[in-house]
Amino acid sequence: MALRFEVLGRFNRARAAQLTLPHFVCQTPLFMPVGTQGTIKGLTTDQLEEIGCQIILGNTYHLALRPTSELIDELGGLHKFMNWPRALLTDSGGFQMVSLLHLADITEKGVTFQSPVDGKPMLLTPEESIQIQNRIGADIIMALDDVVKTTITGPRIEEAMYRTLRWIDRCIAAHKRPHDQNLFGIVQGGLDPVLRDICVRGLVDRNLPGYAIGGLAGGEDKDSFWRVVAQCTATLPEDKPRYVMGVGYPLDIVVCSALGADMYDCVYPTRTARFGTALVPEGVLKLKHRAMAEDTRPIDPTCACMVCKNYTRAYIHSLVTKDAMGSQLLSFHNLYYMMQLSKNLHSSIVQGKFPEFVCNFLQKMFPKGDIPEWVCNAMEVAEIDISSCCAPFRYIQATKVQSNLNEDEIQAV
Amino acid sequence: MNWPRALLTDSGGFQMVSLLHLADITEKGVTFQSPVDGKPMLLTPEESIQIQNRIGADIIMALDDVVKTTITGPRIEEAMYRTLRWIDRCIAAHKRPHDQNLFGIVQGGLDPVLRDICVRGLVDRNLPGYAIGGLAGGEDKDSFWRVVAQCTATLPEDKPRYVMGVGYPLDIVVCSALGADMYDCVYPTRTARFGTALVPEGVLKLKHRAMAEDTRPIDPTCACMVCKNYTRAYIHSLVTKDAMGSQLLSFHNLYYMMQLSKNLHSSIVQGKFPEFVCNFLQKMFPKGDIPEWVCNAMEVAEIDISSCCAPFRYIQATKVQSNLNEDEIQAV
Repeated sequence: MALRFEVLGRFNRARAAQLTLPHFVCQTPLFMPVGTQGTIKGLTTDQLEEIGCQIILGNTYHLALRPTSELIDELGGLHKFMNWPRALLTDSGGFQMVSLLHLADITEKGVTFQSPVDGKPMLLTPEESIQIQNRIGADIIMALDDVVKTTITGPRIEEAMYRTLRWIDRCIAAHKRPHDQNLFGIVQGGLDPVLRDICVRGLVDRNLPGYAIGGLAGGEDKDSFWRVVAQCTATLPEDKPRYVMGVGYPLDIVVCSALGADMYDCVYPTRTARFGTALVPEGVLKLKHRAMAEDTRPIDPTCACMVCKNYTRAYIHSLVTKDAMGSQLLSFHNLYYMMQLSKNLHSSIVQGKFPEFVCNFLQKMFPKGDIPEWVCNAMEVAEIDISSCCAPFRYIQATKVQSNLNEDEIQAV
Repeated sequence: MNWPRALLTDSGGFQMVSLLHLADITEKGVTFQSPVDGKPMLLTPEESIQIQNRIGADIIMALDDVVKTTITGPRIEEAMYRTLRWIDRCIAAHKRPHDQNLFGIVQGGLDPVLRDICVRGLVDRNLPGYAIGGLAGGEDKDSFWRVVAQCTATLPEDKPRYVMGVGYPLDIVVCSALGADMYDCVYPTRTARFGTALVPEGVLKLKHRAMAEDTRPIDPTCACMVCKNYTRAYIHSLVTKDAMGSQLLSFHNLYYMMQLSKNLHSSIVQGKFPEFVCNFLQKMFPKGDIPEWVCNAMEVAEIDISSCCAPFRYIQATKVQSNLNEDEIQAV
């Protein structure tokens, strides 16, 4: 074990903690930007430090292809290579292989796929994934799991869950650097509470430094999503970090934190920036919209970031989709927004003001009080009273909330 | 754009000619096909100045009739005289002479007689500054420096001289020795997007295989954020595959150009210009194989660079720096 996890404050299930990793002392809850290729598109490491990033995620698959894990190892590890002094987390490589390569096939040995470099068949085994991650040198490394989309049903989910448990033992055996790299296990099991429970117990038995909740954020409805998170956070150990992979939208992060999760990652903030969309307390602001062309306000008047202090919506509108600078400025702002969200989650829990923070957050996002039902249900389980932000006497059925970049389909009943 | 320092806008004429193949130049102005809807449009001197008045830059450029230096024949003379007729229309149209400086542009191709007529004509109009246009378009370096030398010799001493479209660091050093003051070029940022960094030795191609394991910074003598934080190996892994590679190289290349500007200014102020020039040339041509056009220009500029030239070597440099600083040197 190469980390220390110290809970500094709680509110019911929510926790604010200090996570001490080999390269950095982090505060949770925290959001990790995804730096696929050893870089966050458009931002220097100075800027990432400036906005308060604590951990960056690197994609093992992309790094293994280019510049290769052997070269990274030779040059002293990924921290040194990309000049990032703080913490790094690498995923196992499995997800890209399944999501990017349609000829990928999963067997007991590992994930077989066609190399994008020369078309030859290749095999990523648990052993190989851990070996690559050992060379890259991140503070946290992820086990290779058998991940299936939550929209799939049938025996495949059970098969994947049990295989994930068999593979964790192979990952543990292959891990050469447990003294300075933390191997996290990933809970699978689809949307089936029984399978999820078996997987949690199995992983907890292996006494790992931390646990991730995987297989979500893949298109399942929000009601199923929060319930799986709630079940896992209720049964995973209190004294170890919980990482919900692939999440995500600010609202989802607030809900999962209320339920007791600590860490998150998603391409959303930077990807949506490249489509001209900014994250704001009200939800999103689409800079491409005609109305932005003459708007001389900053993206968010309450935001203290470099972009909001220096540039107008009109200027950014003139750049988006036509100049890379537009995407860059929006990426900077969006990541700053996510870092502030992380900071506010942590400090509001430490200060015993978490419910106020949640209400304030929801009020800004849903000024008419039309908070989606799944959020209300989750907050009830988290025992956070948000009645002051909910419009009284309105029964709202929200379907597929935030499926289309925060545009709710609300059916008033 | 939130830029608190100075801005300069060009007239719009060059892009119209270089980017739009259906552009046509007449006495009225430049007619072209609008890239938005294909309709015929006309950019006149009046229109160009009006647009620039609205944009509000510190320096604005007259609409000139610019021809490539590789063209010969009567078109060059026609363009030079039209440029003089157009400067009067630009002056008349300029609504903000109190806070925007209209620069005239000297045309005339490679013909000294035409260039002289144009210089005189523009100087007569008593403009705040003068540009030397129509160069950096593929002409040989020998012709290039001679036109610059002629213009700087005859343009007023007490007004800025701006050589448009220049360029390579070596060209800037030579033109400064000959008396020019201002330069612009897409080269540093464009070459960055092709993975090439500007260094004292010339250029460094980050795409090259040899960079993959090179843990040195781009330039160990450079104090910029990129050289202080990133290795060649890292940038190599990014170039052409991730926009960050281009960004980091753009940052470094522009820092390089700003340092070059600073060094030119301060070495002249401190009376150490010849030393600066020699040092610059020595780093770039360590074997002493300085191109002949540079030697000739420095002779006219009366800068003694004999200490950097290899003795007893007659080198004929043809089309120096035509291919991103790869000299074709024919030793004789």
